[in-house]
Amino acid sequence: MLQGAFSIWGRDMLVLRRSIFSELLAVVAYPLTLYLAFGFGLKGYISDVGGIPYPLFIAPGLISMTAVNAAFDESSWSMWFHRQVQRTIEEYRVTPVTVYDIVIGKILSGFSQGAIKGAVVFLVIMLCTPFRIDYSHLPAYVFCLALASMTFSCLGTICGTVIDKPENIGRVQSVVIVPLIFMAGIFFPLSSYPASILPVVRLLPTTAVFEGARDALLLGAVPTGYLINLVLSAALSFALAVYTFNRKMAE
Amino acid sequence: MTQAITLHEITKSYREFTAVARFSLQVERGTVFGLLGPNGAGKTTLIKILTTLMRPSAGDAFVEGFSVLSEGREVRRLIGVVPQENNLDRYLTARENLILHARLHGMRPAAYNPRIDELLEMTGLASRQHDFPDTFSGGMQRRLVVARSLVHEPRVLFLDEPTTGLDPQSRRALWEYIRGLRHTMTVFLTTHYMDEADALCDRIMIMDHGVSLADGSVGELKDAFSRAHVYEVEFRGDADGYERVLAGLPWVRSVERNGGSYRLTLSGEDALKPLIDSLAGADIRKISLKEPSLEDVFIALTGEKVRE
Repeated sequence: MLQGAFSIWGRDMLVLRRSIFSELLAVVAYPLTLYLAFGFGLKGYISDVGGIPYPLFIAPGLISMTAVNAAFDESSWSMWFHRQVQRTIEEYRVTPVTVYDIVIGKILSGFSQGAIKGAVVFLVIMLCTPFRIDYSHLPAYVFCLALASMTFSCLGTICGTVIDKPENIGRVQSVVIVPLIFMAGIFFPLSSYPASILPVVRLLPTTAVFEGARDALLLGAVPTGYLINLVLSAALSFALAVYTFNRKMAE
Repeated sequence: MTQAITLHEITKSYREFTAVARFSLQVERGTVFGLLGPNGAGKTTLIKILTTLMRPSAGDAFVEGFSVLSEGREVRRLIGVVPQENNLDRYLTARENLILHARLHGMRPAAYNPRIDELLEMTGLASRQHDFPDTFSGGMQRRLVVARSLVHEPRVLFLDEPTTGLDPQSRRALWEYIRGLRHTMTVFLTTHYMDEADALCDRIMIMDHGVSLADGSVGELKDAFSRAHVYEVEFRGDADGYERVLAGLPWVRSVERNGGSYRLTLSGEDALKPLIDSLAGADIRKISLKEPSLEDVFIALTGEKVRE
């Protein structure tokens, strides 16, 4: 069972291994730059947020952002590329593997990339900055991040499946993904929002990801509401990804 | 059961048009079957249905007794597919492409490694197995795709326009290879090259616009249309004026000009005398009967040259 999915995942990991250095260099540069620019550049203006030093406030979000972005990128572009350019999805589809194997394999690949890249950014921030955590909080944080990466990997798979023009994937990232991420409390507390829209913002899956991840890493526990949001988002996005891929292949 | 492939009343329709209409076919096990027709005839649609990439609008198809509709997974265990476009994974080496295919078929290393070694030797790619397909010539890529389709020892091999885009030398090399596969498996190929169908196939079906037009061995088709009555007429001097005259004759099905000579397909053998009568007084250098090629068969069936 799922042998086909693991074969496809294995292929993606082999390809990642070949270009791991350049991939990690690229993926580390952006969040590290943001951390240094905002965490240290603004330190003189923003000393703390709710009692948490500002660099410590933004670090978990940057690590989470790296992980979910990597998961989305890998799933969306990989699915698109294999479908539209290389047409290797057709090669997979004339073997005994099922449609579910293919989509699960791609989701696993996105999730793995998110996990690896998030972990590397975490290590780099730990090494290069005074950011420090209580390591007993790591399991809760990793669990939160795993659910988030799964969700974004599924969303990436959906995009890579339904979108035929590559520029439209970039547009989805610019118009949907990045705003959802940046407005979910990475750089500022949610209390900055007007009280009238705060309940809506709290319901967003990205809020659950970034606020939940911060609480997990700094306080050791994910608030129940966010945890339920994360689990439901992961489950729903997975079901939608499988349905979308199945339907596209049937077309 | 001796039928490797059966198509029963297959129809594939889209909103605006019908690609294949009530198409039926049986292919005997261990033979090389060719589906011949111009671009847009419906050949790739049929292959996609047989390889479970597409569902028909109506009808069913069976590969080694397994239905493509209800037993797709079983069908895919038995088939190898060489698609029209090379869909090699450019981020994997030649060998890794074959290994991935083997794993997708559930093969273990002890089974697939020797098989891959054998196939790489047979296709002349052993020395390049650790290179990436982007560095291969078109012919080498095609051979790799064929090798990939054979890793799991399929019982039925589908080749969709296998030599399109290849240079003549690579085409002939691939033909030799395909000839070597006959009797070890059933081969179903589509092509719009007459010479390819002629060279490879035990049996040919000619199709266009989603329907079958003729079916038989190469020899049978040519014999049936040996009275397709293709004549070559060569005129002395200025031959310009004859084209319109010839095309206007009711028993001339088609006229093809090549410099000073015309290739005429007549409606029947009794059209020869009226033709000679019509050309009485014309300055004819030569008039000869042409043994029909498959192209002539196609023109006789459709009244058109093959669309490229």
